Amino acid sequence: MIILGIFIWVLLSALIAIILKDKSSIFTKVSSILTLIAIILYSVLRFSSGYAGGFISQTNIALSKSVGIYFSIGVSGFADALLILTGIIFAAAAFVTDRKLYPSSMFMMIMLTEAGMIGLLISRNFLFFYVFWELVLVPVYFIIGKFGGPRKDGVSLKFFVYTHIASIFMLLSIFALYSYYDLQYKVLTFQMSELLQAMQNATFTSALPEIAKYFILFGFVFAFLVKLPSFPVHAWLADSYEQAPYPGTIILAGALSAMGGYGLFGIIFPFGGLIGTAGLDILVGLGLVSIAYFALTAMFQQSMKRMMAYASAASMGFVTLAFASAFLDPLKSENALIVASGGMFQIATHGIIMLLVFASIYYIMLKTGSDRIPSLGGIYRDAPFLSTLLLGGLLASLGLPGLAGFVGEFSIIVGSFPAIGYWIFFLVFGMLITASYHIWAAQKALYGPYNEKLGKISDIGGAPLAMLLLVFVTILILGVFPVLFFGPIQAYAGGII
Amino acid sequence: MDFAVWFIFLSPLLASPIALVAGMRKIRLAGIISSASIAVSFILSGYIYLTIGSSTINESYSWFANLSYGVYVDHLALVMVLMVSFVSLMIHLFATYYMKEDPKKHVYFAETALFTSAMLGVILSSNLVLLFLFWEIVGLCSYLLIGFWYFKPNAASAAKKAFIVTRVGDMSLIIGLAILYSSLSGAYADPLSIPTLISNASAVAALIGPTKLGIITIFILGGAIGKSAQFPLHVWIPDAMEGPTTVSALIHAATMVTAGVYLIARIFPLFIDSASFSLYVVAFIGAFTAIYSGTLAWVMNDIKRVLAYSTISQIGYMMAALGIGGIIGSAGVSLAMYQLVVHAFFKALLFLTAGAILIALMDLRDLREMGGLWRRMPWTVSLMFIGAITLAGIPPAAGFFSKGAIIDASWSYYVSSGYNAAHLLPWVFLAFGEFFTAFYTFRMFSMVALGKPRSYLAEHARDPPKYVLIPLMALAALALSFGLFQNSFYKYLDSLYSAFSAPVMLEVLVYVLVAIGVLLGIYVGTGNRWKKLDTTDNRAYRVLKNKYYLDKLYTNLIAVRVILPLSSAFSGFEYRYNSANESTGHDVVRLGSAFRRIQSGIVENYFIVLVLIAAIIFLLVEILGGSL
Repeated sequence: MIILGIFIWVLLSALIAIILKDKSSIFTKVSSILTLIAIILYSVLRFSSGYAGGFISQTNIALSKSVGIYFSIGVSGFADALLILTGIIFAAAAFVTDRKLYPSSMFMMIMLTEAGMIGLLISRNFLFFYVFWELVLVPVYFIIGKFGGPRKDGVSLKFFVYTHIASIFMLLSIFALYSYYDLQYKVLTFQMSELLQAMQNATFTSALPEIAKYFILFGFVFAFLVKLPSFPVHAWLADSYEQAPYPGTIILAGALSAMGGYGLFGIIFPFGGLIGTAGLDILVGLGLVSIAYFALTAMFQQSMKRMMAYASAASMGFVTLAFASAFLDPLKSENALIVASGGMFQIATHGIIMLLVFASIYYIMLKTGSDRIPSLGGIYRDAPFLSTLLLGGLLASLGLPGLAGFVGEFSIIVGSFPAIGYWIFFLVFGMLITASYHIWAAQKALYGPYNEKLGKISDIGGAPLAMLLLVFVTILILGVFPVLFFGPIQAYAGGII
Repeated sequence: MDFAVWFIFLSPLLASPIALVAGMRKIRLAGIISSASIAVSFILSGYIYLTIGSSTINESYSWFANLSYGVYVDHLALVMVLMVSFVSLMIHLFATYYMKEDPKKHVYFAETALFTSAMLGVILSSNLVLLFLFWEIVGLCSYLLIGFWYFKPNAASAAKKAFIVTRVGDMSLIIGLAILYSSLSGAYADPLSIPTLISNASAVAALIGPTKLGIITIFILGGAIGKSAQFPLHVWIPDAMEGPTTVSALIHAATMVTAGVYLIARIFPLFIDSASFSLYVVAFIGAFTAIYSGTLAWVMNDIKRVLAYSTISQIGYMMAALGIGGIIGSAGVSLAMYQLVVHAFFKALLFLTAGAILIALMDLRDLREMGGLWRRMPWTVSLMFIGAITLAGIPPAAGFFSKGAIIDASWSYYVSSGYNAAHLLPWVFLAFGEFFTAFYTFRMFSMVALGKPRSYLAEHARDPPKYVLIPLMALAALALSFGLFQNSFYKYLDSLYSAFSAPVMLEVLVYVLVAIGVLLGIYVGTGNRWKKLDTTDNRAYRVLKNKYYLDKLYTNLIAVRVILPLSSAFSGFEYRYNSANESTGHDVVRLGSAFRRIQSGIVENYFIVLVLIAAIIFLLVEILGGSL
């Protein structure tokens, strides 16, 4: 019930934020931090010991038993890691939202998005899952469309239409699954537990027409791939990240990027094996292509925001790869376990890393007036703390050991080898390019001779410094003691594999 | 006792942020704190050396998935930690003088403490993943320290080059680990644990198959090649000279380039039990690098670059010693480790004396403008002389013993292989490498020390205060006397070690080569003969000057001609793909004029529709609910 309370509190906060007007900024900041603390306390209470896979904190409120609509919640080890991520991202997004620049509606949108995120992470009923999935999109559309950059109108529409079309496929899959379940068992239900169980049940799936089975799988996978995003359904990504205002970028890169991964590992993971070898091979291919393609594309970007948008997509290529490899391992052994857990860990830590990167770029933008690599240069001289923190974020993003990004990537690399064999060269090539452009960007923007055109700039201090340091320390802690997230995630993965 | 092992690397690790923060308040504290923390590491290593006897320490805990973290200490690790902590301590002490004036001294000392700690971590790790973690932190620290003078454009790009080139090696290493892991997980509870791997090496080889294990070890060797700057991934190290000289000393002697050699020595049983090609590759690359970079060192005019190429070449001797272990057995490890330790002493000594000279000459690194410094800086240059004779392998200095043993053993390698011609190559490369070593060393030394000063700065150079030379004297004393401990060192690592010998004629040949090298070096380095050489139009000389065009191959051909156009093409495609997506979207929206109204507020309307649909569903549910 604690988690339900948190969810309701966040939903209420959105309402209060719009009512409070002048004080909505401070209210949102306090409320989102309280939410984060509550989520952490909840996680410590429920997940620090004794969690052995599956879903806990389950609550079912029947809204309509006859057609199977329940307000049903439950939290897995993986969802919990993402809940913590959500808490961190939105607290930080609220923190960097300058109250002088944005009206109270902005703060409402932030809280509403957070409510949607928490809702979709805890929902165990497909109908509510879908509603929350959509609920997340709408406020983000407004954040981009109202407060975004010069191309905000077109870009926000593109973002919305793109992801919405994907969601419709998911909705159709849900309805198809719902109907076929009814056909076979004569029970109408949207409950995930029952529908997912049916999909794992050989008698159910063998009775499904082939076309229906693949339609269901395609709808889900397509929706999640768009959301990740994966090559080639990524066209919304870079523009949205670039045109969104910084709080929006942080939300997009930090929290929303986890949605697709959550879909893959949190929803359809139990029956991912149904996709079949050919389909899984395609997914592996998409993951590998994403890693190399986005890395090469990122290398050529001048805008740091755009570059990191592609970097984020490249990291998500690892997730697609991890998902597919977990089923391709012929032995279903420790390899499948480590690759799946690594994939989930990657999703959770990627958001925090992107937060550090984008928040640092935001402060660089504030101090220098530019976030384009060529117009910066040598800013380490005047802003050593800020530069070092951005460097920390970049290093974490390229997967430096000791920081959180490494654990996920390493697990995926070692665990996916049986599935991909010597295609690993492709993967490693992508990682090399990734390292190169991260370091290149750092060298050009932060080091070298100072770009005197920038004039005198000041370093960050006080609360922003403390915030960034805290995020960096979190990344460091997760890199050194990954078990904090890895433990529950592995227990969840072990329960399924 | 185990507690002490952990603190060997934890002490500088913890000291690093403390030095940074304390240094912000009082900048002098930073150097003291990090030096003290490394002194603690050295004392703890000494304590373990005294107490360990013939046992090993192995302590590990679960980390994530089925991987563990922990410490593993045997004699091999112990020799390494003693060397690293001692040499690093000497360098730190000298750095308190060398970096005296630098306004970011506290950052420097925080980073060097972290650097040392990471290297100690590499040595003590009981698991290959943890080793890889520290391995990468070593790389990171070298990146930060090479680029320490970040405002110099050369420094920033050298740092980048070091990071990316060693990253190439690291990726190879990670592939090796991935194959090893996926072949062993399931069979072993902790598949990447070093003690498990080395004590079950033959079982591992039987399980994986020697050929596949050979491939794994080749990938791991790739990582070692990157870190230890062996051909063809050595190109980062001469550029890395842009960092402070004490950093070069750390990288070359104590904390970085030896990591690759150590990695191979650490899991040597895996190499032995894999197919024989893997150690042959090690031997060949090592021996080839030894002579290859020897030929480059003598055309360099930058004192630090000469030393950099000499490091590459000397590490080649260690690699070759490991590689010939494929036939002569684990004695190869002992030979390599002895060379490693001796090299650490004299290379640290050479870099630190070079540092002292650079301070006296206002950071002038060009050999062409030195000369006659022996008379002006007698203490410093005498210490450099000790370093030089050790490097050149002249008795009684320890280099004579360490390299002599490797060359003799490589002859035994050839003999034991049944006089197989391919196995003669290591001996040829190493023996003639000795000639080049002696030659470039004494060319450099003569250009520094002999003759007349060739610049105003050189004329007015003075020794630093004697007390700052104390760490250098300690290193010099060890470089001179360490030959005495040669056999006990070998026996400490490998109790079954027995010496190798080569025919007297061949040994004499090597001595003659060294003697010719020294004389030729002095001949070229004095007078104006080096100048004539330097301005010659000789094509071969130009090839050497351009480092066999390998750097150009990497930057021009691979980076500029392949990667950048590829990246450009991809982002061009990406741009067009984006536009195509958008225009499709526009076309669809434009299809019906009825949509035009929706286009303006598509989402607002959608939101209302969503709520309406939800309401209708619930309504239907309520109505139907009764009937179903």
